[in-house]
Amino acid sequence: MTDPEKYAPSLGKVLIVGGCGFLGHHIVDLLVERHPQTRVFVLDLRTNSNRNSSSTVSYHDGDITDLDFLKMLFSELRPDAIIHTAATHFTAVTKEIMDKVNIGGTKNLLEAAKATGVKAFVYTSSASVILSPERELINADETFPLVTGKAQPEYYTTTKAYAETAVLEANQKDSNLLTCAIRPAGIFGEGDVQLLPPIMHAYFNRQTKFQIGNNDNLFDFTYVANVAHGHLLAAQALLHPYKMLPTAPLDSERVDGEAFFITNGQPVYFWDFARAIWHECGDRLPLSQVWHLSEGAAWAIGGLLEGVFFFLGRKPKLSRAQARYSTITKYHSIDKARKRLGYAPILSLDEGIRRGVQQLLSEWDQQKQKKSQ
Amino acid sequence: MPSALSLIYYFFHPQELRSIIQWKVWHNPVHERDESKECASLKRCFYFLGMTSRSFVAVILELHPELLVPVALFYLALRGLDTVEDDMTIPLEKKEPILRDFHNILEEDGWTFNDNGPNEKDRQLLVEFNVVIEEFKKLKPAYQTIIKDITKRMGDGMADYCKNAEHDANGVNTIADYELYCHYVAGLVGEGLTRLFVEAGLANPMLLKRPELMESMGQMLQQVNILRDIKEDYDDKRRFWPKEIWSKYVPVFEDLFKPENKDLALNASSEMVLNALSRADDCLYYLAGIKEQSVFNFCAIPQSMAIATLEACFQNPDLFKKVVKITKGDACQLMIDSTQNLQLVCDVFKKYTRKIHHKNNPHDPNFLRISITCGKIEQFIESIFPSQPKPVESSPASAEAEAKAKAEANAAKWDMIYMGVAVLTTITIITGSMLFIAWLAGARFDIAFVQFKQQMGQLLGTSSFNSSEVASDHSEL
Repeated sequence: MTDPEKYAPSLGKVLIVGGCGFLGHHIVDLLVERHPQTRVFVLDLRTNSNRNSSSTVSYHDGDITDLDFLKMLFSELRPDAIIHTAATHFTAVTKEIMDKVNIGGTKNLLEAAKATGVKAFVYTSSASVILSPERELINADETFPLVTGKAQPEYYTTTKAYAETAVLEANQKDSNLLTCAIRPAGIFGEGDVQLLPPIMHAYFNRQTKFQIGNNDNLFDFTYVANVAHGHLLAAQALLHPYKMLPTAPLDSERVDGEAFFITNGQPVYFWDFARAIWHECGDRLPLSQVWHLSEGAAWAIGGLLEGVFFFLGRKPKLSRAQARYSTITKYHSIDKARKRLGYAPILSLDEGIRRGVQQLLSEWDQQKQKKSQ
Repeated sequence: MPSALSLIYYFFHPQELRSIIQWKVWHNPVHERDESKECASLKRCFYFLGMTSRSFVAVILELHPELLVPVALFYLALRGLDTVEDDMTIPLEKKEPILRDFHNILEEDGWTFNDNGPNEKDRQLLVEFNVVIEEFKKLKPAYQTIIKDITKRMGDGMADYCKNAEHDANGVNTIADYELYCHYVAGLVGEGLTRLFVEAGLANPMLLKRPELMESMGQMLQQVNILRDIKEDYDDKRRFWPKEIWSKYVPVFEDLFKPENKDLALNASSEMVLNALSRADDCLYYLAGIKEQSVFNFCAIPQSMAIATLEACFQNPDLFKKVVKITKGDACQLMIDSTQNLQLVCDVFKKYTRKIHHKNNPHDPNFLRISITCGKIEQFIESIFPSQPKPVESSPASAEAEAKAKAEANAAKWDMIYMGVAVLTTITIITGSMLFIAWLAGARFDIAFVQFKQQMGQLLGTSSFNSSEVASDHSEL
């Protein structure tokens, strides 16, 4: 994974905001491995999980909604680059908290960064910022417009998009700070809590017999180390031209002020991804025994179940949102990242699935053993 | 005369019958060979072309006049080389120098070869090879150079394989060996043809700067042939599937054909399919560089047939029992779709890619990689023919922009309301003053109102009919 020829031994001092989170700690790990002489700081709300044992990493507890704290911390640490991966949960918090953390927190970080002479700022956005309920994404690129506000049913996504705008607008504005945004799609891997676990639970609940739609919809899933790789390339690209800023790069080569889709570059049919995971879990159900549910039927059943379960006060196993999510086409072109960041996935989808599933299985196994003791 | 069996088949597959009829009735060659201007030796060459090639003769004969003869002679030169190499009755010490020197033989007036075994099917071509040489020397020097260069490199490659005893005994070992073999027998042909196309100005010269594209054209065709012919080759005691692939699934090659190993053999075959399929997007890219219709047809037809054959062989246990073929109706439909434009060929590729994807078995070790390869083909097609227009609607980019947009929409709404009120007020004042002036001047609004009511009643029907009758009585009185 490391190629000393290509990567500088040090990126100076890099602060990872949210570095104990799922993506954040993978970025820390890759940074330590690839740029061993880099001084790494991690800022997170709580820093007791997902810690890297290297002596080059230090951990700092703190809240990004507190601007004074950030300014104090930054003037003490003096980071060269900030990689900002922190965000609220997708659904579990109120709109106000999403606003405060996702948008407000990001603006605080930008302000503190400008005030303390930070050179590079990489923001973790989301590929969903261009996803609208009205259309699929077929090989979508960065020229697609943001979908926010009234047009965007997920408020979380709106806040991610607004924060992205704030980051990109801060590029070279009132300071030398260079910024860019990474938009990953469907992150999964070791430590994943959002994508792999529900799919794996479907196998253990014996739901692999059903398939919604005809499975012709291609979907982007991205192994977490590839997303981390994209972030580090972006940080390196921002730090590199900073050294020779007077000669501005051509518009078609620019990294600063730009957003980039980062995926595995391997869109697969939605249910193929699920079946590969189930196979890794031990599933051996022949394809001929799979029931095909049409999209419309699934939507209707989902609606019915949602209604019934609403009265029971529980969440159904099939919802209309799930029915839609498993039948839409959603994949992106990563040509821009390939050309401008020199990005290419470092790990393929099948290897990513193997690693992610095996790690979760053994983690669950340990939990079970603890319980039974 | 079609057999009774095929009649029954087409009765149940009318779509295929339709394709056959459409192709036979409606297909017009882009160019037609003009036999009247040909000399005897060239006619003989075309005779040999028809004799030695079944699949390529039709597309070659429709080629652009500039390339018709060069491509036909290129084919015959390589066929001659192949006939020497294939013949197991010729001892190696005699075979090797001929193979390595065949490019010079192309210029040796009157050279013929009578030492092929009696069962070698194309032996007559070499017996009369002087006609090919005679015509070859009439070609433009640039074409001669290309054909000679490829003949030399292919001859050397074949000689190396003939000398390699291990290859004869065990077949092909690694995947790299397998692709090298395909390079010699097909990749080089792709290179030679591409250089001919570009030399004739019928293809984009950029194709020569991306050699992996023309290599993929040849690799895909050859790999599909090797995949499909496994049973036939096995019966002839030849093995082209690389050991590196089949040994992952079965310990000895013969096991692939045992019924109890059906699933393992299918897994091995799907890895072969995967290898060939991974060339498909390159092939489409290559076709985008062709500028002339007959050359496009010449290149596209075999490629469409190849992906359809790939689909027919995929997850098909018959592969180990016989040669799997696509039906004649499908073949005609493929030819119709491959002789028009790139977009239709892309549709063909997409259709068969999805068919392969639907047969993909989740418990096959190659499952996800095949799915990824299918996705790659679909994504490539989308990149040249996007099915989705770029969306233009815009959302606010920040909370401030959203608030501003909301405020603007609100202001616009009130503007509309104010405007409406103003218009209504103006109309009311004008109408009111006009009526008032009319009243001052003595207008009888009561009569006008009664008449209006009557006329409305007549228009609408019966309710006021009586009153109008009453009115007419009055007038008589």
